[in-house]
Amino acid sequence: MNLLLKKILLPLADFTLEVDIEVRDRITAIFGPSGAGKTSLLDLVAGLRRAQSAFIQLDDHVLTDTAKRRSVPTHQRGIGYVPQDLALFPHLSVRQNLLYGCKSGAPADPLFAFDRVVDVLEIQPLIARGVTALSGGEKQRVALARALLASPRLLLLDEPLASLDAPLKAKIIPYLTRIRDEFRIPMLCVTHDRLEALTLADNIVVLVNGKILQTGAVLNVFNRPANAEVAKLVGMETIQPGHVMDVNGGLATVKIGKATLTALAPSMKPQEVFACIRGEDVILQHDNASTTSSVRNRLFTRVVALRDEGALVRVELDAGFPLHAFITRPACAELALREGENITALIKAQAIHLVPR
Amino acid sequence: MTAEEWQIIWFTAWVSALSTLAILPFGLALAWALARRDWPGKSIVETLVSLPLVMPPVATGLILLKMFGRHGAIGGFLHDTLNFDVIFTWRAVLLALGVMSFPLLVRSARVAFEEVNPRLEQIARTLGASPWRVFFTITVPLAARGIIAGMILAFARALGEFGATIMIAGNIPGKTSTLSLTIFQDVQLGQDEHAFRLLGASVIFAFAAVWCSELLLRRKRKIL
Amino acid sequence: MKKLILLSIALLAFIASVPAAEITVFAAASLTDSLKQIATTYEKQSGDKISFNFGASSTLARQIEEGAPADIFFSADEAKMDGLEKKNLIAKTTRKSRLGNVLVVVVPAGSKLEIKSAGDLTNAAVEKIALADTKAVPAGVYAKAWLEQRQVWAGIESKVVPTENVRGALAAVESENVEAGVVYKTDASISKKIKVAYEVPAADAPKISYPMALVKESKQPASAKKFLDYLASEDAGQVFQRFGFILLNDR
Repeated sequence: MNLLLKKILLPLADFTLEVDIEVRDRITAIFGPSGAGKTSLLDLVAGLRRAQSAFIQLDDHVLTDTAKRRSVPTHQRGIGYVPQDLALFPHLSVRQNLLYGCKSGAPADPLFAFDRVVDVLEIQPLIARGVTALSGGEKQRVALARALLASPRLLLLDEPLASLDAPLKAKIIPYLTRIRDEFRIPMLCVTHDRLEALTLADNIVVLVNGKILQTGAVLNVFNRPANAEVAKLVGMETIQPGHVMDVNGGLATVKIGKATLTALAPSMKPQEVFACIRGEDVILQHDNASTTSSVRNRLFTRVVALRDEGALVRVELDAGFPLHAFITRPACAELALREGENITALIKAQAIHLVPR
Repeated sequence: MTAEEWQIIWFTAWVSALSTLAILPFGLALAWALARRDWPGKSIVETLVSLPLVMPPVATGLILLKMFGRHGAIGGFLHDTLNFDVIFTWRAVLLALGVMSFPLLVRSARVAFEEVNPRLEQIARTLGASPWRVFFTITVPLAARGIIAGMILAFARALGEFGATIMIAGNIPGKTSTLSLTIFQDVQLGQDEHAFRLLGASVIFAFAAVWCSELLLRRKRKIL
Repeated sequence: MKKLILLSIALLAFIASVPAAEITVFAAASLTDSLKQIATTYEKQSGDKISFNFGASSTLARQIEEGAPADIFFSADEAKMDGLEKKNLIAKTTRKSRLGNVLVVVVPAGSKLEIKSAGDLTNAAVEKIALADTKAVPAGVYAKAWLEQRQVWAGIESKVVPTENVRGALAAVESENVEAGVVYKTDASISKKIKVAYEVPAADAPKISYPMALVKESKQPASAKKFLDYLASEDAGQVFQRFGFILLNDR
């Protein structure tokens, strides 16, 4: 499938949504903090909103063209929408909700046959019930089924996992991947959750304050953020200004604060950078100077603070610059870490991402 | 109660019911437009719709008399082209009742429509429902309680209408005599006993109407 | 001596300068224009103020029964006055039948309808006839009596549009929402938007009599009696005649 979102200009409360992209993959996540304009973008695609300027084309059909004043009405677009609040019709039973999008009582496309959809989403026992008595997860699946039974060409999902707790999220994700595999429908998911994006999406579009900061394969964006903002979004705990002093053989020598580190040289070789390091990528060990390892960066640090975060402990270090490390609780106990103590931090060169400043 | 009195009660009841049904389509359409849309001149329309509520009924009646009389803008056309009279016929009663109870219906229905989550309507459209289908299968059923309460209020208002009715329909026995008009006439004629019997009928009607309306609203609050 | 005369004059002037009385007259609607003119003259002469409540005699009688503050009641028929007399609400000795009137059938000024008799009202061309409410308002009662006497009432009853008072019937004809109406000749004469199609001959019409009397509960009986006497005077009589009323001899 091919979804063109071109020349989109939509003034919103605090900023203007500006989008100009082409979406091809099966599952694309629109990823960004709350209020970035993500839901507005979905509304535009579904035809529920009008933009100051927009050109939207799905495969061969032009859905919106403000230049020619053309806009296909929502009910003719064939685009399924599962909003964040699910919007199940409270005055109709589950069965009536499911069949709402089917003309003449049964889905048009045999791909979306009633029994098949019900089967895939495992909602058979819910059919005769009223909508208000369903649990969160059950409502989620009914809303998905309802959208599918309308034989959509594209499925829009607004924060599909947001209102679910962790175990429920784990339960729903397989259904979404099943939808991708069994029904072969392209999906556009809006999410602010890194885990959701990582798990579901093939492709990711990072949207912040109405502007696209980066697009690409999920792992690419997560491992090589294009700038500091994206880095923060994708969860790099340490982001510090630095200065590339020398580049040699593909490796850069960077001065960060009082420390000097070796990192992979980015292709452009800028001078001023942000160095981004994931907390997970920092290994701590008690100093043992004689051991040689592949790690290029050994930093002498002092523990500034320890914070419990569930099964992990966030260790805030002073390495000549503020550095965050995530280690497990048992590890922390073994190392007998205490505030004010010294500890060595090991960081691989590849784990330091340099981003132009 | 004499046969004549029953006729007056029956006439009042059915013409009030008919007027409520007659204003329903336009009233709902306008209520929906006020609830869901913005357009230039909207506040003027809102004010116009509320006027019969606020103006003295006889004043509204006077305006209707001028518009629908044989020389009026509308009445003239009806009389000359269709040989159709409104003033001093039961149709004038229908008109007076309809106009006076219209604002009550529109206000209740508007609030009812505003309380329907627009997201539900939007999702219905993504499922392929045309705007008309969305209106009849989603919007109206969810707004039903408020709409019905509005209809009951309009009906009750129609039952008690006097000022505009006497202006454009007169009090023609057997043709345009309503409960209110007859009570007024009876008092003038000194037929108090007669008037009190009809008064009793009025009270029963009004009580029943308001009680039903409250019942509906109470159930709505419970569900919310 | 001079001082005494001056003192007496001052005293007399003081006594004479009684605060002006305000008299309320409840009168039949058909008397509106004539009474207003008479009152204007009287006010200049006497210094008293006359205020009116014009309406259907039936309505006014009812209001007086309920205690409305009237000083004088001038009705369009004897029946309403009888009703009040029975309830002991008027000063019997002051009661006087003052005026008579003539019924006419009126049509809009531009109408082509020809009414030459009561029977013509049964024509299909006459779709609606405005009458003051025939159950109580004198003009309506008179009109119905006439139509019954001509044996036409049954035929036209379904066309009747009753109005609250006789001026209402006049207005209905003026607005052309009805084809014809029956009002007093005195009413027809004040309107240019209608014309008289037929004057009911005295032989066919019931006896029309307008009595006037002092209301017993009046708070200014003396001043009210004075105005009542003026209404019975020749000066007032001339005004009434000019408007088309018939002067009756005293009862």
